[in-house]
Amino acid sequence: MSNNNGFRQGMQIAFRLGTELTVATFIGAMLGYGVDRFFDVRPWGLAIGVVLGGAAGSMNVYRAAMLMTLEEQNTEEDDNNS
Amino acid sequence: MESPLHHFEVHTIIPIHIAGLDLSINNAVVAMWVGLAIVAGSFMLAVSRGISPIPGKLQSILEISLEFIRSMVYEFIGEDEGKKYVPFIASLFLFILACNLIGLIPGSYTITSQLAVTGAFAVGIFILTLVIGFGKHGMHFLGILVPPGVPKIMIPLMVPIEIISMLARPISLAVRLFANMTAGHTVLAVLFGLAMTGPLWLGWLPFGFTIVINGLEIAIAFIQAYIFTTLTCVYIGDVIKLH
Repeated sequence: MSNNNGFRQGMQIAFRLGTELTVATFIGAMLGYGVDRFFDVRPWGLAIGVVLGGAAGSMNVYRAAMLMTLEEQNTEEDDNNS
Repeated sequence: MESPLHHFEVHTIIPIHIAGLDLSINNAVVAMWVGLAIVAGSFMLAVSRGISPIPGKLQSILEISLEFIRSMVYEFIGEDEGKKYVPFIASLFLFILACNLIGLIPGSYTITSQLAVTGAFAVGIFILTLVIGFGKHGMHFLGILVPPGVPKIMIPLMVPIEIISMLARPISLAVRLFANMTAGHTVLAVLFGLAMTGPLWLGWLPFGFTIVINGLEIAIAFIQAYIFTTLTCVYIGDVIKLH
């Protein structure tokens, strides 16, 4: 079971972190573009939106990675206890 | 030769138009019904046979899967709070898994390869987390936009970043499932097209690959259903714990 578990977790990390960064940057860019259209401040909305989106994406990836390290430590402790 | 994207097309089977709304029954709807029928039917069958202390084959499979989902929910949401979300998460997991696996049967339809379907799931989950958050914490829920330990000067910068990262969650949830299923099925279709058009002495090679990739796709069907539900649990847990 533990072998299978490792494979599953590896796949989870691979699939999860990739989309997280891309999508957040994209959302930031779209929001910035929307701000440009509504308030007519082209190009500042898009420029700032992409940067904020990238920051949000990095933060999401960082949080996901922290969660995974926590899980890993927990499972290691469990293994040591048992 | 057929386009490799041909099997993602939606065909109307029974046209129904009510008051300008297109409510036609198409192959996607039928695939979804089959998925529902498999999940609901297997549980009904197991219960109607009678739950025994020594489980039979079907009962043990269902028990193991529910046990697995329950431990996942308890891990991410917590045991006291998580109890009432187990049925929701279990239905979500089993339905997505059933739809993913149905799509692997040649000639059937993969309902999870439609962004509309995964998007509807993700938006529903996003609204659910908002409802849970506001219901549980009231206006304090907005505190989720300010991470703990942030200096006051940084708050105007952090709030937009947090809003973007909140909005990115449902979209990454929907796009991940949709993209993985679409990509996998497109690869299968391209390889199968190569196998069918090539001469026999060469065609066996891509055909062998389709068999290998079909195995990989079965694994991906499980993994994607698992990731989708795990992240749902993480998001619900986040709004309940509020950091």
